[in-house]
Amino acid sequence: MPPSTDLLQGTLDLLILKTLALEPAHGWGVAQRIEQVSKNVLQVGQGSLYPALHRLEYKGWIQAKWGASENNRRARFYSLTTAGKKQLEAELANWDRLAGAITLVLQQV
Amino acid sequence: MLSKWLSRFRFLTTGKSRAQVDEELQFHIDRQTEANVAAGLSPAEARRQAAIAFGSREGARDQCREQRPIWPLESLLRDFRYGLRGLGRNPGFTAVALITLALAIGANASVFSLLDQALIRALPVRDPAQLVVLSFAGGVSGHVHSDGGNTPGHRHEFSYPMYLDLRDKNTVFSGLIAAASAPVGISWNNHSESVPAEMVSGNYFQTLGVQPAVGRLFVSGDETSPGANPVAVLSFDFWKSHLAEAPVTGRTLLINGTPFTITGVAAPGFRSMVWGRVPSVYVPLTMQKTVEPDWEYLHDHHSYWLNIIGRLRPGVTLAPAAASMNSLFRELRASEFTTVHDQSPKAREAFVDRARLNLDAGAKGFSPMRDDVRTPLTIIMGMVLLIIGMAVVNVASLLLVRAAARSREFSVRFALGATSWQFLRQLLAEGLLLGIAGAAIGLSLAPQALHLLIRWMSSGSPDAPAFSAALDWRVLLFTIAATLIASLLFSLAPAMQFHSPRLTDALKQQTATGSGSSLRLRRTWVALQIGFSLVLIIGAGLFVRTIQNLRSVNPGFATDHLLQFTLAPELAGYPPSQVAPAEQRVLDAVATLPGVRAVGATNDDDLAGDSRGGDVAVSGYTPKPDEEFDVELSWVSNGYLQTLRIPILAGRYFNASDTATSLKVAIVNASFARHFFGSPGAALGHHVSRPDRPKTDSVIVGVVADVKHTTVRDPALPTSYTLFTQEEKPSALTYYLRTWQPPDTAANSIRAAVANIDSKLIVSDISTMKQQIDDSILAERTIALLATAFGILATLLAGIGIYGILAYSTAQRTREIGIRMAFGARRGTVIGLIVREVLVLAGVTIAATVPISLLATHYVRSQLFGISNTDLAVYGSAILIICLVAALAGFIPARRAANVDPARALRTE
Repeated sequence: MPPSTDLLQGTLDLLILKTLALEPAHGWGVAQRIEQVSKNVLQVGQGSLYPALHRLEYKGWIQAKWGASENNRRARFYSLTTAGKKQLEAELANWDRLAGAITLVLQQV
Repeated sequence: MLSKWLSRFRFLTTGKSRAQVDEELQFHIDRQTEANVAAGLSPAEARRQAAIAFGSREGARDQCREQRPIWPLESLLRDFRYGLRGLGRNPGFTAVALITLALAIGANASVFSLLDQALIRALPVRDPAQLVVLSFAGGVSGHVHSDGGNTPGHRHEFSYPMYLDLRDKNTVFSGLIAAASAPVGISWNNHSESVPAEMVSGNYFQTLGVQPAVGRLFVSGDETSPGANPVAVLSFDFWKSHLAEAPVTGRTLLINGTPFTITGVAAPGFRSMVWGRVPSVYVPLTMQKTVEPDWEYLHDHHSYWLNIIGRLRPGVTLAPAAASMNSLFRELRASEFTTVHDQSPKAREAFVDRARLNLDAGAKGFSPMRDDVRTPLTIIMGMVLLIIGMAVVNVASLLLVRAAARSREFSVRFALGATSWQFLRQLLAEGLLLGIAGAAIGLSLAPQALHLLIRWMSSGSPDAPAFSAALDWRVLLFTIAATLIASLLFSLAPAMQFHSPRLTDALKQQTATGSGSSLRLRRTWVALQIGFSLVLIIGAGLFVRTIQNLRSVNPGFATDHLLQFTLAPELAGYPPSQVAPAEQRVLDAVATLPGVRAVGATNDDDLAGDSRGGDVAVSGYTPKPDEEFDVELSWVSNGYLQTLRIPILAGRYFNASDTATSLKVAIVNASFARHFFGSPGAALGHHVSRPDRPKTDSVIVGVVADVKHTTVRDPALPTSYTLFTQEEKPSALTYYLRTWQPPDTAANSIRAAVANIDSKLIVSDISTMKQQIDDSILAERTIALLATAFGILATLLAGIGIYGILAYSTAQRTREIGIRMAFGARRGTVIGLIVREVLVLAGVTIAATVPISLLATHYVRSQLFGISNTDLAVYGSAILIICLVAALAGFIPARRAANVDPARALRTE
C-alpha cells in the first residue's frame, strides 16, 4: 500500500463537497473517488467519512436520497444542495488563500 | 413550504434512524467486499479485509450519532437521568440534602425579599432615578414635627412657606413635592375608624408619575388656600380592603368630622414618596388644620413638618442643582431670619450663614423606617448567608462521602474508558439536580414564610405593613444565582477528590485506614461545619440574652395589669374647646368600670419610641452660654403619675384641687431637678415656662422619680409634667388603666363606656403595657427569633454533616478497628479513640472560630443590650453545645464500629 497522508483538519469536508459537486455519490463512492483522483495518496478513513457526511447533511449543505447503486443495491446517494454549492465556493476560495500563503512562506526560505 | 420546514425540523431534532445508519454502513462494507472479490480475494478473505479496513462499526455509528445538532442536549439529559437514578438509590441522603437546601434557600429568598424591599428597590414611580431628597443644615426656632430619619446636618422637615418658595423660585426641578403624615378619623357608611393619612402637595401624583386607578388624582388646583380643598384620594389597598372596590368618585367621606369629596383612587402598588408610610387616604396640604386640629402650620415659617422630594429637570445633574438651590435657600433663610425672636449676630450665624440645603439621590425615596430596619435586616441577611454557607458545606460533605463510597464504581467506569470530564459532568449534574429541586421547594415555601414573618413583625399594629409578601423577579434572580453558585460549589467539592488522574489509586484507598488528601479534606469539612454553627449559636445566644435583658428592664413604673388605649376627640370632629371636657368625661367614665383601680392619661405615650421635647425657661436658673437643654414636656391628667405608680420624691402629686382655672402647676422628674437645681428638694416652688410664652408659666409642686420614656433601651429624659386641663391647646391623649380585669374583657367594657359618651369617638390601639414594650423592641425580637431558629438549624446541620462524614470514615476503618480489638483494645478505648479525634478537631476549630466570632459580633454591638459581644457565658455555652453535638455525632458511628466482631472486621475487603 502506498504511504498515506493524514488529511488536514477540515479538508475532508472540502474534498467531499468537491467530489459531490461533480455528481451525486454514495459514501463508498466518495471514498473511492477521492482515493483514485489523488492516486491513492489520500486515504479516507471510514471512521471519519460517515460522521463527516452526516455532519454536512445536518448543516444542510448536502442532501441524501435512497437510490439504486451500480450493482443494483439500495444505497444512500448524497448530492450537493444550493447552500452546499455556496459553501464549496467559499471553502475553495479559502483553500486557495491558505495554499497561496503557505507557498509564499515556503518560497521565501 | 411549512411542511418542508417541519420535516427539516424533525430531521434536525430526531436525526436519522439507527436502522438507516446501519444499512448505510453495511452497504459500505458489502461494496468493499465486492471490490476485494473483484480484485481476486476469496469471499471470506474479502469480507475480512473489508471489515478490517472499515474499523469499529460501533464507533462509526456512535460518531454519526454525535453529529446530530441536538446531541449536546441529549447527553445533558442523559447525565441528569443518570443523576436522578443515583439520587433515587440513596433516598436518605437525598432527603437530608434537599431539606437542608430547601431551608437555606427558603430563608434566603424570604429575608432577601425584605432586604430588597427596604434597602434596594426604587419607588414604584416614573423614572425614580431623577428624584432627589431635600434636607438642610442650620438652626431652627419653633416647632419641629419629625418622624425621624435625620442625621446631624440633614434635617428633613421644612415649613410650608419655605416649601412654596423653593417650589416656585427654583430653576432645576421639573417638580418639587411635599408630604407629611398623620392619623385621621374617617367615617364612611356610619362606620368610624382611625387610619393613616398623608397630606400631599397638589403636584404630588403628577410629579411622581402615579396614575389613577379610578377617577382623577390631585392637580395643582387642589392646593389653593388653607381649608379650601376638601378633596381626598384613596389608596388602592384601602379601596380594595375597606370599600370592596365600590364606585367612590364624587362620593363624600368624613375626615375628622369634615366632609371631603373623593376624586379618585391611586394606582395599585403606590403608597408614598416616603418608604414605610402606608397611607389609606391622601388629602391636600392645605387641609392640614382639619387633619391636625391641634396645630396651625400653613402660615408659620417656624413649623417644620414637611418632607420634600424633587424631580430634576432632564439633563440637570445633582451638583449644579445643589449649587443653584443653595443660593436660593440662603436668600430665603436670610429673609426668614427677620421673623426670629433672637436677633443676635450669633443667632444670625447659626440661622443664615451655616444654612445649607442638601440634595441627595432619592430613587428609593426618603425613609426614617429604612434607617430603623437597615441594621437588623443586614444582621439577619448575614445570618442567612452563614446558613447558606453551612448548607453548601453540609451537602458538599454528604456528596463527598457518597462519592468516596462510589470510588469503586468510578474506577471501574474509568477502566472502561470514561473520561474525567464525564465524571465531572456527572457530579455537576447531580449537584445541579439537588440545587434545582432544593430551590424549587425552598421558593415554594418562601411566600408562606415571608407572610408569617411580616405578620409577626407587624403584630399589634392595625395598619397595613410596609412590607409586601410577594416575591418579585429580583428575589427570584438572586435565589437562582445563589442556587447555581451553591450547586457548583458543593458538586465540585467531591470532584476535587478525583482530580488526580491516577484514579486507580482510589481503589487502593478503599481498604486503607483513611489517609492523605481525602482525609484532610474531610477534616476541613467537619471543621467548617463546626465553625459556621459556632458563629451562629454565639449570635443567637447574644440576641436571646439581649431580649431577656430588654424585657427585664425596670422602666421605673409598674408594668403589670396596665392597659392602654388612645382616643382623639378631634378625629371625631370635636371643636378645640370641646376636646378637654370630652377627655375628662372619658377619664371619669373609665374610672368607674369594674376592676379598674386607677386611670390616667398623657399626650406623650410611654415606651412608644416617641418624644415631645422643647426648651424651657426656669426661674432662678441662668443658662450657661450656648446651653441647649431640651426637656420632655408631657401633658397629663391628674391621676397619671399615681396610675403608673411613679414614686414621688418631694412635694405632692397633682390632685383634684388642680383645675383648669386654678394656679398652673408642674411636676418635674429627678433628672430635671438635678440639672436645674442640683437636688429634688430644691426644685419646689420654682417656676417653669416655655421661653417667651408667659401664659405657660407653672409652679413646681412636686418631684417624681425618673422613668424610662422613649424606649426601654434609652435613658430617662429630664421631664416636666403639666396638666392637660391647664394647657392652652387641646391634645389627643393616651389613657392608662390599672385594671384587674382580663385585657379582652376590659377592652370591651372600655369601648362600651366610650360609645355611651359618643358613638363617634374612636378607641384605638388597645394593648397591655407588656405588649407595648414587646412592640417597642420588635427589631431586637425579630433578630432574636431568627437568630435562635438559625442557631438551632445550624446545630442540626452540623450534627447531620459530622455524623455523615464520621459514619463513612469509621466504616472505612473497620479493618483497623478490628486489628486493634484483636490486639486487646476494649470497646470503650475504640469509642474513645474516635470521639477524641472529633473533639480534638472541634477544639482546634473552636480556637480558630472564636476570634472570627468576636469580629463578627463586634459589628452587631449596636443591636445588643445589657450584654457585651464578648460575653463569657454565651461563648462558653455555645462551645459546650457544639462540643456535645460533635461528640454525639462521633459517638454513634464509633459505637457501631466498636460492636463489630474483630474476626469479621479482619475479613472485610
